[in-house]
Amino acid sequence: MISPKPAQTPHAVLDPQQLPGWDPQWSRLVEANTCDGAREFHVLDTGPALTDLGFGANDVDAIVIAVHGNPTWSYLWRHIAQASIDAAQGKVDLGPSAGKAPIIRVIAPDQLDMGFSERLGHPGFPSTTANTTSYRTLEQRISDLDAIIKELVDASSNIPVFSLGHDWGGIISLGWATNAAVRSAGSQIEPTGMISLNTAVWHDESDPIPAPLRAALAGPVLAGSTVVTPAFLDTTLALGQPALSGSVKAAYKAPYASRAERGGIGGFVADIPATDSHRSRAALRTVADQLALTDKAALLLWGAKDPVFIDRYQHDLLQRIDNVEIHRYNTAGHLLAEDRDISIPLLGWIRQQLDRDTRPTPDPAAGRGSEAVGEYSPLWSYLDQWSGSTTKAMVDMTIKDANSRPFEVTWAKLSSMVDAMAVGLREAGMRPGDRVSMLVEPGRDLTAALYAVLRVGGVAVVTDAGLGVDGMTRAIKSAAPQWIIGQTPGLSLARIKNLPGKRLSVKTMDPLARSILGLSGSMYGFASTYAGQKYRPTAQHPDPDPADDAAILFTSGSTGPAKGVRYTHRKLSALTQRLQHTLNVAPGSSLLAGFAPFALLGPAIGATSVTPNMSVTKPATLTATALADAAIAGDATMIFASPAALSNVVDTAHELNAQQREALKHISMLLSAGAPVPVPLMDEVLELIPNAEFHSPYGMTESLLVSDIDHHTQHAIADRTDRGVCVGKPLDVVRVAMAPLDFLGRSSDQLVEGDEAINQLSEIVISTPHMLAGYDKLYNTNRQTRVDSVDGLQWHRTGDIGHFDEDGRLWIEGRTQHIVTPATGAIGPGGPEDDIQRLSEINRAAIVGVGPAGTQAIVAVIEPHDQSIKPGLAPTALTDDVRAATDVDLAAVLVTHKVPVDIRHNSKINRPLLAQWATDVLAGGKVGTL
Amino acid sequence: MTSQFHYVTADLTGYNVLVTGASGVLGSGVAHALRDAGARVTVLQRSASGLDGVREIQGSVTDPEAARRAVQGVDTVIHIAAKVSVSGPLEEYEHVNVEGTRTLLAAAQKAGVSRWIHISSPSVAHSGASIIGAAAEPADPNTARGNYAATKAAGELLALAADSANFRVLVLRPHLMWGPGDTQLTERIIDRARANRLPLLDGGTALVDTLFLVNAVEAIVTAIDAVDTTHGEALVLTNGQPRPIGEMIRRIAVAGGAKEPTLDLPSGLAKTAGSVIESFWDAEARGDEPPITRFLAEQMSTAHWFDQRRTQEVLQWKPRISLEEGFRLTQQYYRN
Repeated sequence: MISPKPAQTPHAVLDPQQLPGWDPQWSRLVEANTCDGAREFHVLDTGPALTDLGFGANDVDAIVIAVHGNPTWSYLWRHIAQASIDAAQGKVDLGPSAGKAPIIRVIAPDQLDMGFSERLGHPGFPSTTANTTSYRTLEQRISDLDAIIKELVDASSNIPVFSLGHDWGGIISLGWATNAAVRSAGSQIEPTGMISLNTAVWHDESDPIPAPLRAALAGPVLAGSTVVTPAFLDTTLALGQPALSGSVKAAYKAPYASRAERGGIGGFVADIPATDSHRSRAALRTVADQLALTDKAALLLWGAKDPVFIDRYQHDLLQRIDNVEIHRYNTAGHLLAEDRDISIPLLGWIRQQLDRDTRPTPDPAAGRGSEAVGEYSPLWSYLDQWSGSTTKAMVDMTIKDANSRPFEVTWAKLSSMVDAMAVGLREAGMRPGDRVSMLVEPGRDLTAALYAVLRVGGVAVVTDAGLGVDGMTRAIKSAAPQWIIGQTPGLSLARIKNLPGKRLSVKTMDPLARSILGLSGSMYGFASTYAGQKYRPTAQHPDPDPADDAAILFTSGSTGPAKGVRYTHRKLSALTQRLQHTLNVAPGSSLLAGFAPFALLGPAIGATSVTPNMSVTKPATLTATALADAAIAGDATMIFASPAALSNVVDTAHELNAQQREALKHISMLLSAGAPVPVPLMDEVLELIPNAEFHSPYGMTESLLVSDIDHHTQHAIADRTDRGVCVGKPLDVVRVAMAPLDFLGRSSDQLVEGDEAINQLSEIVISTPHMLAGYDKLYNTNRQTRVDSVDGLQWHRTGDIGHFDEDGRLWIEGRTQHIVTPATGAIGPGGPEDDIQRLSEINRAAIVGVGPAGTQAIVAVIEPHDQSIKPGLAPTALTDDVRAATDVDLAAVLVTHKVPVDIRHNSKINRPLLAQWATDVLAGGKVGTL
Repeated sequence: MTSQFHYVTADLTGYNVLVTGASGVLGSGVAHALRDAGARVTVLQRSASGLDGVREIQGSVTDPEAARRAVQGVDTVIHIAAKVSVSGPLEEYEHVNVEGTRTLLAAAQKAGVSRWIHISSPSVAHSGASIIGAAAEPADPNTARGNYAATKAAGELLALAADSANFRVLVLRPHLMWGPGDTQLTERIIDRARANRLPLLDGGTALVDTLFLVNAVEAIVTAIDAVDTTHGEALVLTNGQPRPIGEMIRRIAVAGGAKEPTLDLPSGLAKTAGSVIESFWDAEARGDEPPITRFLAEQMSTAHWFDQRRTQEVLQWKPRISLEEGFRLTQQYYRN
């Protein structure tokens, strides 16, 4: 038996310091007319605080109704409440927007039987089996919420309202937002948008319930773990990533000190409709069904390391809600609102909804930028068009045929293979929009499988091997593919790491391996079963729309976990057009590709793809003879290779025989990308391949082609004194704008182009027809990196910094996170590093900043060839040389024996690590090791 | 003593300026610069200044009568006089740095002086921790380390408390001044290095700001204009070019004609056994002032460099002579 108890404000029983981060002014008691009469609620309401700041009811731009879950209370929303008050005063940078700081009122009730709200009387403990009707049900809680809103929000004011929820409160808030019947009978509020943290609105009975809940729900245990003891409460509060502080845990536990106060915790658990016969099952189904019908905008903020609200529920919500965006935090957990600062994406999203009508519309005649996508042609056009051709589509030097000749595939053969595999994938159940993780080494198998997947409308998830096992696992779990196509290593990884998706092998495997790896089929099996069948779209399996996703690329970056870069069919089609028109990779040419991203594009361009005998993921394994042999076998006319590969080609050139040397003279175009190409290397390569134009395009995973420079230009600019590396002029259809850096190194929200952009250190912002559609499941990253303000085009902040020279050439000087900010103005590290690295005694140099932004000391960390020089302050003579080499005022020159660089490119310097080391050393600390 | 340098300043014809402590290298430099800029200059110090073309009053700032005479007809006081040392009883420091300041302030206010440029030290706000790009913090006699810093802090607070629209006070805190003729730091380093017994603490990697003397003089003269616009605050004054202390000392030593010093001394030893260091220096028989105490050991083994943006904005001034040029000038001076 649990006795009723009235609501109270927390500070009636607690000292203010017992609720860290909570302003007593936010607490109020509200009586609402609920389904069973008047009930009193404790409510967090920032309205009075806003009034004190001088914002009246009419100044409020939006209201957030936040609903906590079980067993938390409105304390969960204190950071959002504080951030909204700070934002109203313009103290929070919500990211790019033209608008003023939004005034947002936050209302967060404690639910009945929870937090500091009224405790109902109960004849006994809650249970899933016994008839315990005194505990609130989902349906009642939704109606309670509306009753509170009716008391606090004036519907006639027409202020936009947004719902926000977490855990079981997510279901209640989404249920309220989508239940027009309840709202029209009560509050008469029509919400504008919905936000939810980790939650779940549907559970299929055939799926097992997550283990932690299964334990709590077990009949006799339920009351014991939730009410009689605080076990459920303690378990939940232990989910912080990182752990919650003792004082914050104590604050969460404050309203649940005795079993009489914990009845609601058990009642909530008992109300989880885990079975079809549960009393709240129908109410849950209504929430799920209504969500599938609504066109309201929704935002999900999701902690991926949640043992209860696992990825399955996130995926269900993404499928279910039409107009939804998500930011997935890979290393945060169930208590996301504690684990991360989510106020910026949350308030930023709300402002974006409020601003929605003020965006400029794109100029339909734009000749450059994101809208200049040209004529769309499907990526398989040439496979269809040349399905009868006996000319070579692929030459793979890594595989020999039965006669020990290089493996060759005609367009006819490749086309029929792709068709048969596509038919097989469809028969196996692949649907348009399904995501397919491609764990296949580059080569003919990957090419065939990839085009088959694209053909059926699947979305290829490509993960760079440079990510390592952990990085790949994290990336694939985030992408949540329905399918995995792999070879044995990839499939083993999928099994060991329990990666999502039905598994398909490339080659057909024996029954034991099939069973161990849990395979649903094989690509070779499809090719043979459906040999000769032409793939044709059907009503259930239409061809993908140009706006549909085609690929998600995860590449290893120098900082932070990999982001999934999303491309649509239209964007990839635009990329093939750029290769054809700008770089003259014309249909019928033969492209020898030693560089992974471009090795896959041959069939879409109509070019013969020639794979030299090398490991495509390890560029430095390309030898001169392997290159020449591939050129001979594939009648190659163009070569695409990374600088590292070309460097090895030059080093092994002495192994070439006369015939091989002759073959290289037929190459007319050389493309090299991935890192800057030193001019001496260009010259050496051109001695071997004398009839080629040497082009070095600049780009990134987010837009593979931005600008291009050829070797003539490289020589012409050799005497210029610009800082940084010249990457040439933007490609014809590409628009490059500059976001100038201020004294603190922050890039401006205002973009400049043309004369205004000359010689001004800026972040480089691009708009290209072949740019990313967005980052996958990273709403906030998209918001921070996208600029929509100019000409209605899509713009992407690249994170690269540099300047335009007066002839319109772009120079790269580093990354935004490596900007150094002395009092004389921000600088990029690239220019001074290049100057110092030209000294013969220096192997590598890094420029870092020490001290507060805006008044930093500039420090050069050098790695001399002479390893007998002690780490620490450089000797005087060396210091003099380094100072003389650059025009920036170096506060110190420090020696280290190894400047840390990334493994993959052996070129990306870990400047943050060096900056920390330099800070310690120059504060008088020990030199030690890095 | 005649100035070795030509100072670049605004025309100060019509100004009537008192400089205290003009027997030191900074005070005499300021008096020179003012005189050359056309100002009428009065100097006040205990011994003869040896300066031409100035009104000279010999006496102590602690003497009310000397102070009264010194401020007669003066519109601007540049208060440089102080007891500068690292040892000795507190009372001696208080007498000059606190009571002397109080006496002169009273006299100046009574005589209708309208500007007071107060020369202080960054050590007034220094508690021993590293200073990394910090702005000028408030002076605090309770946390400042050592008798000099504590009494300079108290003196600075007295001056700032006197600030008003009619009596405009600006505090300048030059940090580690060096240059030709400076006996406090420059010549000690050179002498020690010539004797091949100059220690560098912990490899000398701590980043420190310094100030070339000529720049210090010009900044102080510039303050006479600046104080009419901005007053009632303290500004740290440096060359805005922090360098590792080891590199600074090496370069000063070499500029003075010594070989590069190489002797390394761990700062822990310096801090915990200050007496060892002091006797080590005492062996040089430099009289009553052991040049390294625990305080100085800290100064030399922790970072000390400052945010100069506010200083340069208020004074509308940038150091004219870079460190590199300063080393060249120093070398020239000591070669002769």
